[in-house]
Order: sequence, then structure tokens, then C-alpha cells
Amino acid sequence: MTAPVPPLAYLPEILTLVAALGVFLLDTLGVRRRAAFGAWTTVFLAAAFVSVLADLGVPGLGGLATLPSSYLTAGAVGPVVFTALGLVFQAIFLSAGILVAFASLSDPDDEVGIPMFYGLLGLATLGTLLVALSADLVFLLLSVEVTGISTYVLVGYTRRDPRALEASMKFYIIGALSTATSFFGASLLYGAYHTTSLATIAQGLPPDASLALVGFGILAVGLGFKVTAVPFHMWAVDVYDGAPSTVSAFLAAGSKKMGIFAYFVVFVAVTRLFAGPQGWPLYIALGGLAVTTMTVGNILALQQKTLKRMLAYSSISQAGYMLLGIAVDTPSTLSGATLLVAAHVLMKGGAFLVVAALAQIGLGARIDDLRGLGYSHPILAGSFSVLLLSLAGIPGTFGFMGKFYIFAGAIEAGGLFILLAVVGLLNSALSVFYYARILKIVYMSDEAPAPSQESGAALHRSLTHSSQGVASPPPRGIPGLGRIAAEIRAAGAARWIAIVAAAVLTVALGIYPTPLVHAFNAAATQFWSLGY
Amino acid sequence: MIPFDDILAGSGILFAVGTFGVLTRRNFILLLISVEIIMNTAILNFIAFSAYAPGPSILGVTGQAVAVVLVGLAATEVAVGLAIVLALNRVRGSVDVAKAMDLKL
Repeated sequence: MTAPVPPLAYLPEILTLVAALGVFLLDTLGVRRRAAFGAWTTVFLAAAFVSVLADLGVPGLGGLATLPSSYLTAGAVGPVVFTALGLVFQAIFLSAGILVAFASLSDPDDEVGIPMFYGLLGLATLGTLLVALSADLVFLLLSVEVTGISTYVLVGYTRRDPRALEASMKFYIIGALSTATSFFGASLLYGAYHTTSLATIAQGLPPDASLALVGFGILAVGLGFKVTAVPFHMWAVDVYDGAPSTVSAFLAAGSKKMGIFAYFVVFVAVTRLFAGPQGWPLYIALGGLAVTTMTVGNILALQQKTLKRMLAYSSISQAGYMLLGIAVDTPSTLSGATLLVAAHVLMKGGAFLVVAALAQIGLGARIDDLRGLGYSHPILAGSFSVLLLSLAGIPGTFGFMGKFYIFAGAIEAGGLFILLAVVGLLNSALSVFYYARILKIVYMSDEAPAPSQESGAALHRSLTHSSQGVASPPPRGIPGLGRIAAEIRAAGAARWIAIVAAAVLTVALGIYPTPLVHAFNAAATQFWSLGY
Repeated sequence: MIPFDDILAGSGILFAVGTFGVLTRRNFILLLISVEIIMNTAILNFIAFSAYAPGPSILGVTGQAVAVVLVGLAATEVAVGLAIVLALNRVRGSVDVAKAMDLKL
């Protein structure tokens, strides 16, 4: 136990709160322009991001640190704890928030509920930051709920689109069920431990170990909804599909990763405690959850015809790899899962932004509508290809590093974990198939995208969106500056910059990941030995 | 004092009732009520288990405080849920979950 934390140690959270509340304040003051709200949110989230990096001790930013570095090793202070891994996750969450806030500057200016979007985005980011600080079960679940309630509304913020509202309703029902279930699990743990402090829970088993095991199991189910673990994944695809693409980007990149960290906080110490013969149900549950999640996600992704649903299913399978890192539970796999989470923010956030850009360009939502994109919009298509290759885990991209450390750690751990690693590798190979199919459509077929023939909602969407895009066959050859400028205008400047930045970072961190890997390894090792 | 196992049995039954409701109901309002039943199970547990905290009785205050917070959380959630269903009702004219099923392949 150390002295109370100085208030300024919470500077990143304070800045994020200012970002959110400031938007609502600007709204009441009569500001109506999207650029004002977007710039406000982006600037404050970026400031919070810099503050987190400074607290982590990134060279060059040392003067800005507001958290005394002794707290990073001090353990829990009341309901909060400052760990290096928690700060790393805060930086990841904030980069997801910044990516989405910046890219949405390109969304239409006359939309309903613009301040609502930015305000709720800020509040949702705040919840994810608090999750990264939790050292108490109730504090953790309440923080999860801050993000949860913000994102239920965020999905349906336009209030007109029936598809978005339906997605919002489904998300709400499942989210509320998940919260109630998590709290039920937490209440059983309180009955077993007589405390909700994770510091105590991480120290050992209570006298009534079976009650605790049931509590952990129910908690795993409740949080499983948040990380879209199979069989609790059914909602995710509909929600990602129905939500506005920018919101889907935040859900996949930000709020789902919060669930992964919640799993870290609760289960890293626990899987060790139950390592004996008593714990086999927990091991089988976590390992099985990871394997079924990645397998089912991949197999269903193979069959999808629309881009957003394919991305949603691939997002589910990626969650499986991350859960594998928690199931094996060694510092190396935790570090790998963190790397994969960081990569996933760029890859999946960027990919969903590409979907938003395609809608604005006027291409349909089906994968077949991407035909010839490689010639008509070369840079957008190139960035998208990089992001997809990274999702597939091709070496040389950032997505490869995370998977590599997870599988290597699982093989090192030996025993049954080698089997898990083999299943994971097979899944990884399987996933290349559906990513490569998109690349083939983007580059190998040079006809102009034809208007979609499908009936129902897809037809409606393509009719409303594809009025401009199909007029002339795309020109071939090396893109000139004029065409690039036209592409930027068509995709929306801010969104285009965000997508290209995500792709460039994916490659850069894939080629030279050493400093990041070292930092993540150190943070994960410390987190692993602390246990929460 | 109520025996520990009886508390567990009671909350288990309530949890089962709530889960059954979530799985079978098609009306959004009834779904909300079912979710609230599960939430109340957790609240009841926190209060009941607080009586079993070891040491001086003041230590049990954690559970009671958490219960109060959870009541507030449940109210917030219902407020958001009703707002969503109002917006949905305005667009679709129904609160039947089974009828709001556009998002399919």
C-alpha cells in the first residue's frame, strides 16, 4: 500500500473526459460544424495519448510524465493499479479513438447527432481507459459498463436508419445480458472471497474453491460476450454490419479489445491458481473457448458475401488468437496477445474505414463490387491489401508478430498447448484463403464494378450508393497525381489519410518491431508476475 | 441468519428464471424485465453475502455499497434501453424483436 495517488496521475483520463464533456458543451453553445467537434475530440484524445506515452517513459517525452514512476511497480492502490501493460493498453485504446475521431471528419456534415457521436466516442474511450486501471472486480465491471452504455447508443446514433437501430437494439440486449451475467459471477466471487479486490483474489484460493470456480466460469461467460468469443458471438456480426462503418471500426478496434484486457485482469492470475488437478475445467474452458472462437469465426468468414460481415467474422477469429494467449498464460503469449491487439486496432480499424470510404465512393457492400478497385483507386486498394495481408498474418506485417509470439509461446509451454498452437496455425492458413479472395477480386479482374443484382437490403444499398461510381470504366496504368487527388476527394480526405496511415504503420511496425516488442515483453512479464 | 446454501439456491433459481426469459421472450419490454431479474440476482447476492463477511460487521459494507451502485446501474441501463426501443418503435411501429430482423445474409 502506498500513499494516495496524485490527482494529475489521472491526466489521460481527465483529458478524455474533457474531450467528451467539451463536445456536449460546444453543442449547447450552438456549434454545429462537424469539423469543430471532430478537431476538439481528436486533439484531446491525442493529448491523452501523448500523456500515456510520457507516463510509460517513452524517450523524449519524459518531461511530460505526470505519473510518478514508482506507482508502476507499487501494486494496487485501492481500486486502481498502474501497470506498464495497463498503460500500453491505454495507448492502444486511445489510438483506436483517435483513428476513428479523425477519420470521421470526412463523414457528411448534415448528419443528425454529430455531437452525440463525438461525445459518446469520448465517453466510450474513457471507459476503456478505466478498465486498464482496474484492480477491483466491481470497478472493472463498472468501467466496462461505461463503455458498454456509450456504445449501445453510439451504434444507433443516427436515429433514422432502421438497420442501425436494429443493430443498436441487439447490441443492447446482449450487452445488458452480459453485464448482468458478469455481475452475477462477481457476486459469487464476493461470496467466496468476501472481497472484490483483485489483489486478494490473485493471491490464492478461498476456502470454498468450488464456489469461486463457478463464479469465474460465469464471469468468463459474461465477459465472453464482450470479446465475441464463440458461442457468444452471434450478436457481433449483425451489430458490425448494421452500425455505421466508423462506429464498427471503433467497436472492433476499441471496445472489443477492452474485453480482452478484462480477461487479462481476471484470468491471468486465476489460471495459475487453478493449475492443479482442481483447475482442469477452467483450463479446458479457456483453451476450448479460444479454439472454437478462431475456428468458427474463420469457417463462417469463408462463406460471407458482403465485406462488412466478412470483416466481422474475421474479427471474431482474431479474438480467438488473443484468447489463446490468455489460455496458455505465459509472459510470452501475453506479450503476443498485446501485440496482436495493437496490430488489430490498425488492421481492423483501417479495414472498416475502407468500407466507409467505399460507400462514399459509391461501390456496393458486396465483395464482388470491389472488382477493378485496384485500377480505379490504386492507393486505397493498396492500403486495403496491406491491411488484409496483415490480418492474414503474412510475415513482414505487424499482424504476423502477435501471432508469432502467441504460437511460439504455446509451443514453448509444451503439453496440450502444442495442440492448441497447431490448431491456431491451421486456422491462420485457412484465413489466408478468404483474404486472398478479396485481393484477387481487387486486382485480377479489370471490368468496371457492375451494379449489384442482389435483392433486398443489398439491392437497396447499392441503388442508393452506386449512382456515381459506375459511370466510366476505370483507367489503367500508373496513377498520376491528378488521379490520386481525385481518389482522395472521392474517399474523403481525413478518412483517406487515416487509412493510409494505418497501412503504413502496419508495414513499418512489421519490418522493425524490435523496440515495441521489447517494451511489450517487459510490460507483460511484470503484469504476469503481479497477476492483475 | 439464512443458511449460505439457501442463498445460493435462491439466486440460482432466479438466475435460471431470468435466463429462460431472455431466451424465450420476443417482446422487447419483457426481455428488458428478464435481464433485470438477472441483475437483481447479483444485487441480492451482494447483500446476502455481505452478512457473511469475516471480522467486524463493518467489513460487510462492501457488498451493501456495491448493491446500491448496481441499483443505479440497472436504472441507467433501462433508461438507455427504453430510449433505443422508443426510437426503434418510431421507425418500425413495433417492439417485437422477431420482427426487427433485417440484418441477415
